[in-house]
Parts: sequence; C-alpha cells; structure tokens
Amino acid sequence: MLLRLAMATLLRRRARTALTTAGVAVAAAMLLDMVMLGSGMRESFRGFLDQQDYHLRMTPRGTMPFDSEATISGANALLARVNADPDVDGVAPVLGGKLFVTVGDSIIAGFALGIAPRIQADYVIADGREIDAPNETVWNGGLLDATGKRIGDTVRVSAGYDPQLRRFTGTRELVIVGRGRFVMLSGGELAGALPLATLQTMGGPDREDRISVALVRVREGANTDSVAARLERSEPRMSAISTEAALRFVDERLGYFRQLAFILASVSLAVGFLLVTTLVTVSVNERIGEIAVLRAIGVARWRIVVQVMAEGVALSFVGALLGLGLGLITAKWLNGILASFPGLPAAFDFFLFEPSAAYKALGMLVICGILAGVWPAWRAASLPIAKTLREEAVS
Amino acid sequence: MLGRLLALLTALVFGSEGAQAQAPWRADHSEPRRITIDERLAARAGLAVGDSLLITATAGSAGETVIISGITERSADPSEIARSEFRVRLHLDHLQQLAGSGDRVGRFAVATREAPGAIESAAARINALAFGFRAYRAADVAVETGATFRVVNRFHRAIGVITIVASAIFLLCITLLKVDERRRDVGALRLIGISRRSIVRAVVLEASFISLIGSAMGAALGYCAGWIVNWHYQGVYSTPLKFAIVTPSIVLFATVLSLALGVIAGLLAAQRLVRQAPLALVGR
Repeated sequence: MLLRLAMATLLRRRARTALTTAGVAVAAAMLLDMVMLGSGMRESFRGFLDQQDYHLRMTPRGTMPFDSEATISGANALLARVNADPDVDGVAPVLGGKLFVTVGDSIIAGFALGIAPRIQADYVIADGREIDAPNETVWNGGLLDATGKRIGDTVRVSAGYDPQLRRFTGTRELVIVGRGRFVMLSGGELAGALPLATLQTMGGPDREDRISVALVRVREGANTDSVAARLERSEPRMSAISTEAALRFVDERLGYFRQLAFILASVSLAVGFLLVTTLVTVSVNERIGEIAVLRAIGVARWRIVVQVMAEGVALSFVGALLGLGLGLITAKWLNGILASFPGLPAAFDFFLFEPSAAYKALGMLVICGILAGVWPAWRAASLPIAKTLREEAVS
Repeated sequence: MLGRLLALLTALVFGSEGAQAQAPWRADHSEPRRITIDERLAARAGLAVGDSLLITATAGSAGETVIISGITERSADPSEIARSEFRVRLHLDHLQQLAGSGDRVGRFAVATREAPGAIESAAARINALAFGFRAYRAADVAVETGATFRVVNRFHRAIGVITIVASAIFLLCITLLKVDERRRDVGALRLIGISRRSIVRAVVLEASFISLIGSAMGAALGYCAGWIVNWHYQGVYSTPLKFAIVTPSIVLFATVLSLALGVIAGLLAAQRLVRQAPLALVGR
C-alpha cells in the first residue's frame, strides 16, 4: 500500500520524475566510472604483473624495469647467486636493446628483447612457435606489418649503428618463427624477441654478460618482501621490486587520476543527493494537505515517513540501475581516450569493472537517496494536523 | 654531508650540454668538480650549496667526490610531471668520464639562423649528411613530448561533456520544479488576461537571470578551485607548472552555455505550463 502510494505520487508528475531519474542516472554513471577509474589502473597493472607469474623484478639500483638504459654487468654470476637462494624458484633474465631492420631503402627500428625462451614471461605466442635456436626470433604484429615479413622469413637485423664508420653493428641473419603478443609493450611499439646470448653478442662488448632486468619467481609459501630485502642486501647494486612496490610506483605516477576520480565521485554523489532531496521536498510541499488528511484519518507517522522515503529510494534505485548501463558505455568511451596514452601496454585498462566495487558505489548512491528523503519525510510526518488542514482549506 | 653516497644517481645523471660553450670548464683538476642538483633532491637528502657528495654512475662502485655549486628549480615541463627522478647536472666531459662513455653525447641542440625555412633545410641537410642520426625540429619534439597532455586534455573534455549533460538535466529539473510550484500564480495571471507570451517571457527572463548569477558564482568558485588545484599539485609534483587556469574565454564559454541552457529550460518549462487551461492551473 505504502509503495503503491509512493509510486502513484511519482507517476503523477511524470516529466519531473523522468528528469530526476535521468539526473540521478548520469550522476550514478559518473560515480561508477570514477570508481572504475580509481581502482582500474592499479588492478589492470597488477593483472599484467601477475600474468608474468614472477614475483620480483631485479633492476639496476634505483630504477624501474626499462625506465632507463642502465644494464647490469656480471649477469651470469648474478643469476647463479640469485638462483642459489633457497626461496627462489626461478630467474628469467631480460636484456633490452634496439633492433634495426633494413627494408628496401628504409630502416625500421624496433625494440629488441633478449630472453631465455623456455622461461620467458614477456610475450605469449599468438602464431607460430617459441624460439628454439640461437638464430630464431619472435616478432610482434607491429614489426611484422611494418617490415612486410612473415613467419618463416629469414631477416637481416642489426643491434646498433656506428656513426663514425657509418655502418650497422651486430648484424645477424635470423629466422622469424613466431608472432608474439608482448605483454608490457604499448600498442604501436615494434618489437622482437631473440635469445639473450644472441642479443648480447650482437651488442658487442657493451652488452657482453649484461641484462636489463631479472624476473624472480619466489617459492610458494615464502615471504616475497623478505626475499626482496635479502636479495637487496646481498646485491647492493640492485633493487628487488615486488609487485606491491611496483604498484606503489604506479600509484605515484598516476595518482592524479585517482584524486580526480575521488573528487568527481564525491561531486556525483552530492549531485544525486541534491537532486533527490529537491524533488522529494517539492513533492512533499505540494502534498501537505494530502499528508495532513492521511494523518487525520489515523495513518501512523512512521507510515508517512516510509512512504516519502520510498519515493527517494525508488528514484535513486531506478537512476542507479540506468546509471549502471550508462556508466559502462561511458567508461568504454573514456577508456578509448586514455588508451592512447603514450608508452602504456595496449591492453591496459584505466576503467576496470569490478562488480563488488561497482555495487558498493551504486549502493552508496541508493543510501544517499534514502538519506535525501529523511528530512522532508520527517517534516511531512511532523506537521500539526489541524493547523495544516485549516490553512489548506483557506488557501 | 661529506661522503653521502647517492647510489640513486645511476642512469639519472645527465650532462649539461649547454655548458659546452663555456669550455675549458676548469683549470685545476685536483679540486673536486662541481655539480648542480635539483631542489627536490636537495630537500629529500637535506643537501645545500657547498656540500660534498660521492657520486657514481654504477651503484656499488667507487665514486668521485664533488661539490654542490648550485640548486636548480624544476622547469615547468609537462613531460616531467609524473616523473619522480632527481636531476643532477654535470659538465659534459665530467659525465663522459664518470660513465665511461668516451666521446659520446645523447643529443645536440642546434641553433639555426633566423631565415625562412632555415630550420627545415638545416634538418634536411643534417639528416642527409649523417646517416644514423636524426634531426628533429624543436616544435616536433614539443608535440611528441606533449602527447601525454593531449590525451589528458581529451579526457578532461570528455568529462566536461558528461558534466554539461548532468548540469543540463539538473537545471531543467530545477526550472521545471520552480515553474510547477507557481501553477496557481500562473493560472491567476492567465485568468486576469495576461497573455501566454508574456508569461513565457517572464519565466525565460527569470531563468536567464538565475543562469547569469549562477555563472558569476561558478566563475568565482572555479577561480578558487583552480587556485586550490594549482597549490595542491604544484606541491605534489614540485613544479611551477599551472594545472588549472580560468581564462576569460573559458568564463565566456561557460556563461554562454549556462545562459543557453537556462533559456531552453525556462522555455520548455513555461511552454508546458501555459499549454494547460488556466482553471486547471488553479485547481478547478
């Protein structure tokens, strides 16, 4: 009965109810988007790191992986020492470098990754097979498209250029055996992977026995932070970065978006609250006489309160539901804009839909709708019955 | 601060290419060489001009003692906003010797003559002359480094569009409620002979007036919010860069948009009201 009355009140003024619901839906969509933005970057990045299935990244001290051109010398000895740690389950070395491919008169430059094929975690094979010999390479789709090469082709690649002699250095003939999807590279980046030893040899003395980063897998049950601390103590020229530390770094760099998300989410909640409060207050003001009659014929005060609050809840609930759909559409649009951020992996999502976070946010909006109805409901239920009826009759 | 080891300098040190013109840089090689550090590093490590440091290009290796001769301010460069590295400036030959990079540089800055097409022709000649190098116009480099901010700008515009849609609905809703509240007044006015057009005009005028007052308050609020945003993010990122600027063109755009929305909302609400019979408006 109470709900039916509340619905009848809302449907009596359809235009304003529709507009308020639309307003709440836009506020809910914005709130949902901002919640998705606030947690999306972090979780998306965590997904990338977890996908690699390595728990620590060892880099030259003070740097993040591939943040600079710094490399680690004495790589073989270092890898042996790290592997000897009782809590370490495996180490995958990676060396970054340049890759020059001559196609006709033009030179195409890409990013080279020297990896240990059997334990690498930098790409997944999308087509073809994994590297199995020193003269084999796996390229990403971008590099294959840019050079017009295909799996099975033999290519002549170089690792550097000597401007004084005006010739390429470290040139090798390699066979493309696969097309890889490189996990951490941005969409437009051209890249190829080749065996670590091959890239080190191609790089000459500058790259001999050097790596850029070592991915460390920690044994199950071992504490990652204590392993990281131990490795940093035993290798003073290295930083051992855990997934959590990398996430903190991402938080620091992209903190602006989290703060923006927090501010806009708060504004969205406030807008939703104001809209519902305004509508319910005006609705109550219009029905003062009606409410006084209900009270006069014996309807309990709490029933009036519940009826008025039900209006606010209905508006918020329907608005939140519509906002859920609208929010997912706008999130896709906004994600498309931010996906063109330079240097970010192509599959990186700024807006990640996490059901629990989304439902919590929309639940907050519905709670705001309930709170928005409290004051007008209490005011309506507390009206002096006789005085209100007389004033209504006179007016 | 003698002997402070700044292992973090690995790969973050870079040569001061501008200093090349001042060669020879120093006469006495027995004296410690001088470097400058940025104010963030000075604040973080508690360093001051005149302090001695031990610097090294590789963490863990033997270092070289240098003296801080200056502390530099961070430039208002958008591409460095989210980067947390410290900046240390050394003379070019000093860094080459420290890093063991021999006679190598990362890049050259080339000044061209002030003549039409001088930049393009110089770049073309350099590119033809030195295979393996690439000359870029400063403007192209600026475009490349500004890519991040163009994305952020597009994102802000998209958020702006959503906000405008939300504001339009909010405004229309409030105007509708305000006009609806005066159903009886409007009915009475219609009954005493006031024309529909006059009532619509009055409502639109009122909505426009409210929009203008709202715009003025919004501009003031925006100015204050901009000041707070700049104060906060300049502190967070240690940069003199301005993050939010309220320009006259932005205020004008916001005012015109607000006025247009106000007029449309007023018009829709008033039309809806005057279409009803006057007696129905007064509740008969």
